[in-house]
Amino acid sequence: MKFFPFVWRNLLRNKLRSLLTGGAIALAIALVCILRTMPAGFDHFLEQLATNTRISVHNTAGIVYSMPYAYLARVKSVPGVVDAVSWTWFGGAVDKDDGVTFPSFAVDADSIGVVFADLEIAPETLEHFRTHRDGALVGRQTLRQYGWKPGDVVTLSSLVWPLELSFRISGEIPADVDPRFWFQREYFEQALREQGVSFDQAGMIWARVDDPEQVPAVMRQVDAMFRNSEAETTSETEKSFFQNFFGNLEGFVTVIVIVTALVTLCIVFIAANTASMAVRERVRELAVLKAIGFHWKLLFVTLVAEAALLSTVAGGVGAGLSLGLTGMLRAASGWNQQLGPLSGFVVTNALFVQALFLSFFIGILSGVVPSFGASRRSVAATLREVF
Amino acid sequence: MIELRNVSRFYRRGADEVHALERVSLEIPAGRFVALMGPSGSGKSTLLNILAGLDRPSDGQVSVAGRKLADLSEDELAAFRAAHMGFVFQFFNLIPVFSARENVELPLLLTHLKKAERRARADTALRIVGLAERATHMPGELSGGEQQRVAIARAIVTDPEIVVGDEPTGDLDAKNAEEVLGLLRALKQDFGKTVVIVTHDPRAERYVDEVLLLDKGVFQGSRPGGQTGASPGHGPGGAATAAPGTAGARP
Amino acid sequence: MALPLRYPLRSLAHRRLRTGLTVAVVALVVIATTLFLALVSSLRRTLVSTGSPENLIVLRKGSDNDGSSQLPLDAYQALRFFDGIVRNAQGEPLASPELVVQPFFFRPDGGRENVLVRGVEPIALDVHDEVRIVEGRMLVPSQGEAVLGRGVAKRYAGTALGGEMKFGRRTWKVVGILESGGSSFESEVWVDARDLAADAKRPIPYSGMRVKVASGADRDALIRRIGADSRWSLEAKPETEYYAKQAESANTLYGLVVGLAVLAGIGAVFGATNTMYAAVQARVAEIGTLRALGFSRGSVLGAFLIESVAIATLGLVVGVLVAWPLGLAVSDALGGIGFGAATFSTNVITLRVGAFDVAVAAALAAAIGLAGGFAPAWRASHLRPVEALRKG
Repeated sequence: MKFFPFVWRNLLRNKLRSLLTGGAIALAIALVCILRTMPAGFDHFLEQLATNTRISVHNTAGIVYSMPYAYLARVKSVPGVVDAVSWTWFGGAVDKDDGVTFPSFAVDADSIGVVFADLEIAPETLEHFRTHRDGALVGRQTLRQYGWKPGDVVTLSSLVWPLELSFRISGEIPADVDPRFWFQREYFEQALREQGVSFDQAGMIWARVDDPEQVPAVMRQVDAMFRNSEAETTSETEKSFFQNFFGNLEGFVTVIVIVTALVTLCIVFIAANTASMAVRERVRELAVLKAIGFHWKLLFVTLVAEAALLSTVAGGVGAGLSLGLTGMLRAASGWNQQLGPLSGFVVTNALFVQALFLSFFIGILSGVVPSFGASRRSVAATLREVF
Repeated sequence: MIELRNVSRFYRRGADEVHALERVSLEIPAGRFVALMGPSGSGKSTLLNILAGLDRPSDGQVSVAGRKLADLSEDELAAFRAAHMGFVFQFFNLIPVFSARENVELPLLLTHLKKAERRARADTALRIVGLAERATHMPGELSGGEQQRVAIARAIVTDPEIVVGDEPTGDLDAKNAEEVLGLLRALKQDFGKTVVIVTHDPRAERYVDEVLLLDKGVFQGSRPGGQTGASPGHGPGGAATAAPGTAGARP
Repeated sequence: MALPLRYPLRSLAHRRLRTGLTVAVVALVVIATTLFLALVSSLRRTLVSTGSPENLIVLRKGSDNDGSSQLPLDAYQALRFFDGIVRNAQGEPLASPELVVQPFFFRPDGGRENVLVRGVEPIALDVHDEVRIVEGRMLVPSQGEAVLGRGVAKRYAGTALGGEMKFGRRTWKVVGILESGGSSFESEVWVDARDLAADAKRPIPYSGMRVKVASGADRDALIRRIGADSRWSLEAKPETEYYAKQAESANTLYGLVVGLAVLAGIGAVFGATNTMYAAVQARVAEIGTLRALGFSRGSVLGAFLIESVAIATLGLVVGVLVAWPLGLAVSDALGGIGFGAATFSTNVITLRVGAFDVAVAAALAAAIGLAGGFAPAWRASHLRPVEALRKG
C-alpha cells in the first residue's frame, strides 16, 4: 500500500470532519494572508525606494513650512546633483464632498522625468507632459480607481488653494501602488497670478544624485547651504522620508501583527483539536496495527502526515481565496487616506508560499502531540482500555 | 399485556431487502418474566425494539397495555415509553456526567414531580437494587455489575408495568450476571412487573417463566423456563406460528 | 420536559481538552476581532467626540479643514460682532480666531510626525469649553509659551512641563497640559496666534475661527449670513458636523475590519461545528438512551445547542477579559496609536475596548455558538433510538 494514497484515504474516512477542519483552516489562512499584505505592502514600498539615489529637501520645521522657489536652482548647482525638481501640494479633489482621495502636486515639467527616471514613465508620455501646459502624469492606482485614460480631461478643485483647474491626462506613472497626480508648476503659477496671488515658494525639492556614494555628502552640502537662513532645510534619502512620513502607522501595524499572531494560534488549535479527535477514535485500530507488527514510528508518521496534508491543502485553498478577496478589495477601493501604503493589498508570490509553509508547519505541529501519545501507547494498555 | 399480531419487519441494506421478522404473532401476559432467545441474527433484538415501542413494524399490529402503538405519533410514543416501560441495555448506558442517583432520577424528569419527591423515589429504587450507599458515585467509579444495577434502578424508578432488557448480562462476569438475573426475577416476583429480556446467556433460563424462541426472524414457539441445565432450544422445525391467545406450543 | 441544564454543562466539563481547545478558538477570534474593531472605534470616538454643539467653525469656502483655510483679519473683526454670538461677562464676543500649522514633532525613538499646532487668543478657552487646563496654566500671549494636549505630552520627546520644546523654527516654553475628554484637541499643541504666524511666516495671521452661538439664537440664520457675505468667501458650519465628517474617514476602515471579522467568524463556526459533531458522534449511545427513556427530540436539540452556546459564551468572556487590558497595554507601550488626520497631522488615540466593540464580539460569539452548534444538534436530536443504541 503506497503511503500517500493511504494517508489521503484516511482523511476521507470522515469527510465532514475533514471538510470542516479544512474550511476553518482555509479561512484562517486567507485572513492571515490578507492581514500580512498590509505591512508587507509597506515594506515593499520602502524596499523599492532603498536603491535609488533620490533625496528630498524640505523645511526643517515641517513639510507645511515652505521654502523659497529660488532654492531649486541652488540645489541643482550642487556638485553630484544630476537634476532637481520642486513639488508643491495642490490638494485637489474630484468631488469636494469626498475630499482628497489621492495626492496631487504642481511639479517642474522639465526635470520631473530626469529626477524620477526610475519610474520608467514612457518617453511619449513625458513629451506630452512637457509640451502641454495642462498635462498631467497620473499614477496607475488612481487611473484605475476613476477609470481614466490618457487623453481624458479631468477637473480638480483644490481644498487648499482658491483654484479649480482642468487637466489633460498625458499618461500613467506605471506602478500598481502609485496614486500620484502631477501637473505643471507653470500652469499652477499662472492660475494663481490670475487670482492676484504671486507664488514664489515650493513645498519640497527632490534631487537625483549621480553616485550613491555621494549621497550623504550632497545632503550635508545642501543643508549647509541654507543653514541660518529663514528656511533651514533637512535633506534625507527618499526611503527615509517616506519611512518618516508614514511613521505614524507603526501603531496600526503593531495591532495588525498581534491580530495575525492570534489568528495563527487559532489555526493551531483548530488543527490540534481535529487531530486529537481523529486519533482518539482510532485508538483501537492503532492497537491492532501495532499487534500485527507495524512499528510505532510508522504509525506516528502516518498520523502526522494526515494532519499535515489536510492543513497544507487547506492552506493552499485559503491562500487562493485571499488572492480573490484582495483582488476584490483593490477593485473596490483605491488609495486610502488612513492606510497609505498599507492599502495595496497585494498577495505576492512570497506571501503565498509563506502561507503554504505556515499551514504545513501548523499541520505537523498539531499532529505531533496527540499522535505521539497514541502511537507509543502499549498495545496491551490500549486493548485493555478498549475491550 | 403485550400482544403482537403478524408483525413483520424488513429493511433495505444496499440492494438487498433484509427480512428481520416474518409474521410473528405472540402474546406476553402481564406479570411474566420472559426470555427471547435464538441464534445470532434471529431478529430477537428487533422484536424487542418493536414491542418496546422503539421501532415500528413494517407490517402487523403491536398492542401494549391495551394501546395500539400504531396509533401513537413519535412524541406520543416517547411519552408512552416514559410512562409504561423501563429499559436495561447491555452496555448499561448510564450518562457518564450524572451520578448514580441523578441517572436513576432521569426518567422522573419527564414527570411533574418535585425535586424532593424525585430524589426520594430514586433513593428507593437504589435501595431495591442494593446500592443506596453508592448514590453519589459517578458511573466511572462503579464496577460493571454495579452500573447495571443502577441501570435497573433507573428502569424501575417510574414504577413502569414493563421492564425490557437487551442482553442485560452480556457484559458481566458470572457472579454479577447471576445477581442481575436474580434482581430481574425479583421485579416480577415481588413487584408483579412484566419483564422481557433478549439474551443468549444460558443461565437466564433458570430465572424466567418462559422462553420464546426465534430463528431467522420466524417465531419457533416457546418452552417453560426455570429448568436447570437446559440449553437454549431449537424450536420445532418449520415455521409454526402460534395462534393468538396461546402461549405457544410445547416442544 | 427539558433536560436539566446540568447535562450540557457537565458534558462540556467532562471533555476538557476538546472543550478547552474550542473555547480557545472562539476566544482568539473574539480577541482579534475586538482589538481590531476597538482600534477603529477608538479613532472614531476621538473624532466624533470633538466639538461643541453650540459652536460654529468658520473657514474659507471650499476648504475642508482647519489647516488649509485662511481668514482675513477684517473678516474676523466684522464677524465677531454678528448677532447670535454669545458675549462673556465683559461683553466680549465668544469668537476665537485660530491659526493652524503642522510642524514636525519627534518621537522618543526618533520618528517624525506632523502635529497640529493651533495658534489661539486667550478667548479660545472660553469658546472650546470641553478643553480644560489640567496641569500648569493657560498660555500668555506673545511669550512663546505652549500648552500641550495630553496625547502630545505622552507621545513626543521633550514635553516636560516647565521645559523647552523645539518645533517650527524656534523653541517654546511648555506651561500647561490640556485635556478634552479624549477628543482630538488632546492631539494638539496650543500657542499664541501671533507667535505662530511669525514663525510660520503667514501673512494672514488666522486660518479660521470658532464662535459660540447664543442659546435661543437662530443658528441657521447666522450660518446663512456668514456664507452670504460678499466681502469674503467664507462658510460656517456646526463644529460637531465638521468633526463628524472627518470621522467618516474611519468608515472605510470599519468596513475592512468588519469584513475580516466575518471571515474569522465563519472559520470559528466551522471549528465549533467540528467539535460538536465529534461530541455527538462520541455520545450516540447516550443520546439513544435518553430518547429511549422518553426525552423528546426538542430536549436533545436544546441540550446540544446549549453546549455550543456555552462554549461560545465562555470564549466570549475570556476573549473580552483578555482584549481589554491587552488593548490598553499595547496602546500605552506605543505612546498611543497614531492615525493620519484630515488636517494632515496625527491623531493620537488610546486603544480602548468600548461597549459597542463588546456588543459586536458578543453577536459574533452568539452566531458562532448557534450556527456552529445547530447542525450537529439537529443530527443528535434526529438520531433514531434503535440505531443509536445499536451503535453503543
